[in-house]
Amino acid sequence: MRSSLPVDDLPREQGGHELGTPPLGGPGAYLWWLARRQWLTILGAVALGIVMFACQAVLPFLTGRAVDDGLEQGFGPELWRAAAGILVLGLVSAGASAVGHRFDVMNWLRAAFTSAQLVGRTSARAGHAITAELPTGEVVSAVANDAFRVGELYAVLARFVGSIAAYVIAAVLMLQVSVPLGLVVLLGLPVVAAVLGLLVRPLQRRQAAQREASGRLTTLGADTVSGLRILRGIGGEGVFNARYREQSQLVRAKGVAVATPQSWLDALRVLLPGLFVVALVWLGAHMAIDGQITPGQLVSTYGYAAFLGWPVQNATEMLQAATRAHVGATKVVAVLRVVPSTGATPATAATPPPHVPLVDTVSGTTLEPGRVVALVSADPDESAAIATRMGRFDDVAEAATPVLLGGVPLAELDKADVRERIVVSEATPHIFSGVLGAELATRGELDERALLEAIRLADAHDVLDSVPDGLAGELPEKGRSLSGGQRQRVALARALLADPEILVLVEPTSAVDAHTEARIAARLVEHRRGRSTLVVTASPLVLDHVDEVQLVRDGVVVARGTHEELLSGAVAPEHRLAYRDVVGRHLDDEAPDDADSELAFDELLEHEESGTTTRGGRA
Amino acid sequence: MKLPIADAATTRAYTVALLRKHRRPLAVMVVLQTVAAVAGLAGPWVLGRLVDAVAAGTDARYVDTMIAVGVVAVLAQTVLTRYGQRLSMVFGELVFAELREEFIERVTSLPLSTVERAGTGDLVARTTNDVNKLQHAVRFGVPRVIVAVVQITLTVVASVLLSPAVAVAMFVGVPVLLLVLRWYLRRATAAYLRESASYAVLNGTITESVEGARTADALSLGERRYGRVKDDLAEAFAAERATLNLRTVLFPGIDLTFVLAPVAVLLWGGWLATQGQVSLGVVTTLVMYSYQLTGPVWELIFWVDEIQVAATSLARIVGVQLVEPDRQAAAGEAHGRPPRDERVEARSLRYAYREGHDVLHGIDLDLAPGERLAVVGPSGAGKSTLGRMLAGIHPPTGGTVTVGGVPLVDLPLDELRGHVALVTQEHHVFVGTVADNLLLARPEADDSELERALRAVDAWDWVSALPEGLRTEVGSGGAALTPAQAQQVALARLVLLDPRTLVLDEATSLLDPRAARHLERSLSAVLEGRTVVAIAHRLHTAHDADRVAVVDDGRITEIGPHDELVAAGGDYAALWRSWQHDA
Repeated sequence: MRSSLPVDDLPREQGGHELGTPPLGGPGAYLWWLARRQWLTILGAVALGIVMFACQAVLPFLTGRAVDDGLEQGFGPELWRAAAGILVLGLVSAGASAVGHRFDVMNWLRAAFTSAQLVGRTSARAGHAITAELPTGEVVSAVANDAFRVGELYAVLARFVGSIAAYVIAAVLMLQVSVPLGLVVLLGLPVVAAVLGLLVRPLQRRQAAQREASGRLTTLGADTVSGLRILRGIGGEGVFNARYREQSQLVRAKGVAVATPQSWLDALRVLLPGLFVVALVWLGAHMAIDGQITPGQLVSTYGYAAFLGWPVQNATEMLQAATRAHVGATKVVAVLRVVPSTGATPATAATPPPHVPLVDTVSGTTLEPGRVVALVSADPDESAAIATRMGRFDDVAEAATPVLLGGVPLAELDKADVRERIVVSEATPHIFSGVLGAELATRGELDERALLEAIRLADAHDVLDSVPDGLAGELPEKGRSLSGGQRQRVALARALLADPEILVLVEPTSAVDAHTEARIAARLVEHRRGRSTLVVTASPLVLDHVDEVQLVRDGVVVARGTHEELLSGAVAPEHRLAYRDVVGRHLDDEAPDDADSELAFDELLEHEESGTTTRGGRA
Repeated sequence: MKLPIADAATTRAYTVALLRKHRRPLAVMVVLQTVAAVAGLAGPWVLGRLVDAVAAGTDARYVDTMIAVGVVAVLAQTVLTRYGQRLSMVFGELVFAELREEFIERVTSLPLSTVERAGTGDLVARTTNDVNKLQHAVRFGVPRVIVAVVQITLTVVASVLLSPAVAVAMFVGVPVLLLVLRWYLRRATAAYLRESASYAVLNGTITESVEGARTADALSLGERRYGRVKDDLAEAFAAERATLNLRTVLFPGIDLTFVLAPVAVLLWGGWLATQGQVSLGVVTTLVMYSYQLTGPVWELIFWVDEIQVAATSLARIVGVQLVEPDRQAAAGEAHGRPPRDERVEARSLRYAYREGHDVLHGIDLDLAPGERLAVVGPSGAGKSTLGRMLAGIHPPTGGTVTVGGVPLVDLPLDELRGHVALVTQEHHVFVGTVADNLLLARPEADDSELERALRAVDAWDWVSALPEGLRTEVGSGGAALTPAQAQQVALARLVLLDPRTLVLDEATSLLDPRAARHLERSLSAVLEGRTVVAIAHRLHTAHDADRVAVVDDGRITEIGPHDELVAAGGDYAALWRSWQHDA
């Protein structure tokens, strides 16, 4: 299935495999682009629509003829002929309707799926620009709703054109019978439709209000379920049920508010066409008494008054569909306009050879080739931000803080090359749903041995037990079935399996217990020994193993040396205390002989009180 | 283990009970719609009479009389439609609101073990998709079906009354219709369910791509994500094509019936008319009736389809009610016996998520009131399970947990939470304001109490810095809180609840170590005198506690004050030294 795009399965497709690039100038241009891509299917649908409606338009005329024939000649060849005509027209119409429906649906799907696929492509390639520019809900809604609103336009198009044809045919036939009767029908019906159309407006406003309240209720329900464990822990169920009930009753009240105008509208839908038909029959009957028309023609007129309501309704639907498609296309185009956060413009510099240093110019953080380096800062957000820059996630935002690979700014290089050589695993990386083994192997299939080795390195064997069927088992969305520590270790195994030339890990062990952390630290550093690796951490268990530690204060690297050297003050003695404060897990009340440390803890408290003490936000 | 789905009989019984409960408005609805439908039959009848009259020669008086009948009929139908439709909608809203509220109440009282085993995904789907699908059927489907059935029945009855001989011809296409319908309805539900499932998967994929955009970018997963979208679209397309094929049979089948009916009436009626058995006006009326049947029949088939799909949703909603409760307040003698004190005791505590696979192997533990116990140990040792047992979340598989001599599972939930509460590392923020999030624990708390609770968890600074402070909307769709902030909110909730015993399962794990320690200290000042069980991977928590319990492989291997354990030189001492390192 992977090999062919769904849209290529569509009938009468001109064999184009490329999705192509739509114009993003505006909704109109986009809709026109879609129409041109499927003009043959549209043409087919329109032709069938015309056939179907033409047949339907002749039916009342034939029925009237049959009545007259029956009256004049009784049961004879004339009646047979009329009945045969009705039968043939009905069969042709049914056939055209069935095949036409297939064409309509194909038109609908092709336009909708093309839009959905384009949105999918953009969201997969845009990097974090997509979340920076649009709320997640908007993007999902572009696929779930807007794409289908766009498609709807092409689905109702054939019926609309067919309706026009039907109206013209009916007009010709009716005017032949009687000019005044014909004019009353042809002009009166659109007026009735327009009046009904106007009445819909206030109703739509109330419907929108109810939809909104109802959407909020759904969110509230989903929210309850997601937070059920929390509710159970503290017993907030009663409060929550009350909150839900309140919103539920609000939705009900809004629904009742809709009921009144809706029922009036339904009533008017009976009243206006009903009175119209009665008036017409009155007129027709008087003409029939006067001999101006035959009883059969009276029947035809009645038939047309009933039938023509349908094309008029189709025209209103087309109008609504076009409005919705315009709105939908606007939203789809808004998503498609998102510019990828990196690599939006082609590379301007050649990629440097392998084994060159990676340098963050602003902080002075330097990763020499083949070194395993730890980056330490009193403010974890600060060091995480530096590490993130080294992965080039946003060309615009990072323009002022260039990072050099072998002396060349990352932003000037080919993006694919950068991603190939440098992998940054952030503090709370996303775990995607899918088969565990495949989700771990981001760079293509790997054998089981390689996967198990990475799992060993990340000390994540327990994950294999938590996921039914182990490596072949399915991970749910966001790895929800795993604990926080398990998710972190899965992400670590995944980053190690990418096996890049340069690996940057942000707080890879912050959520695991000390036993596990000690094991991971030893294995991880040993595994990456000799290959450029930067780890943002303050854990002494990790720091003890790395080749070099770089200490950041106020955004700048102020000291570098081994963990031992920095602790003892063998290098950069002026930063010894600051370093001990960050990495020390010793306890203030436990070292009465170490006055420095006591002092430092107070400083720490001040620091914490002055600033935010939390972390985990997006760098 | 999946959540149960009700079988057809249970679902039917539920529906019948629901309809019976509301039989009075239902009866009024049927009456109103019936009378409206009778009025709707007037048009073709009037037309038929006029055809006969004109053919026989008549005067304007007769025409005007008949037209007056038509006008009255239209007016009557209008008024009846107005009241009938309004009543139907109001009724639909009432029933549906009742149904969803009852459902949510069930959901919030589900045993947690069931929810966890089934995964929250299924339950979320039932709460959102299934409830929404049902809504459409209840609010619009039920009234429309009533109208359609009444219209079809009355049209047929009127035809038969006018001329049974001619009316027979109307049914010439019915065998074809029934065959096609049977064929279609047997396949339709599965096909439409597959279709909506395929869209749910597609939307899920897009959501993941957007939420994980940075990770996808970092690991060059863009093409893989795009491939997933294409696969999902291919499946949605295949599902759409399957339903389209079904309709390609259904539509001509229905059309054929309504092509055959008027032709048969015309020919058969025409022949009978030449025999002088019926008037041509009657034939005309019946031809019009057979056209007029088309609308309601299409509507009915459409809704039967929708209602079949809705029935599967209803089966899933009713299914939730079939889950057995795992705890009930003790009946009889034990009922109402209050705990004599706040001493929490566990005896021979066992728990198995899967039968035969014990996670806890007979744990004995006494918590003295006011004591602070830290629980440490490697991942998967059973610490969290122990925490849940101590908080009375799950009934143990073996052994007991009691507070003041009363088993926790015998206490009603409301009462239980006054004694023991649990906060885990889960960082879900509820939709609503910050205040709403906190008030879950104590609805009557005022703003100053909220502030005090937030200060106790070091969260007041950032909460007061939010655009509208306590009244800032957070959670899905509101201001985004970091996981660490969400944990602080959860802890503040606990401060407000103020139970005698607190179980904290990695409740500060998402804060950075120094912030966590600071928080724990300010928290313990507020919780003076409360019993605290803190499960933690950071050993400073253990160091600060009165006693430390080391849990390994479902057993407590060491327990005692920090200093004693370190002096004893066991596992804890080794762990402590490695954690301390040489810093």
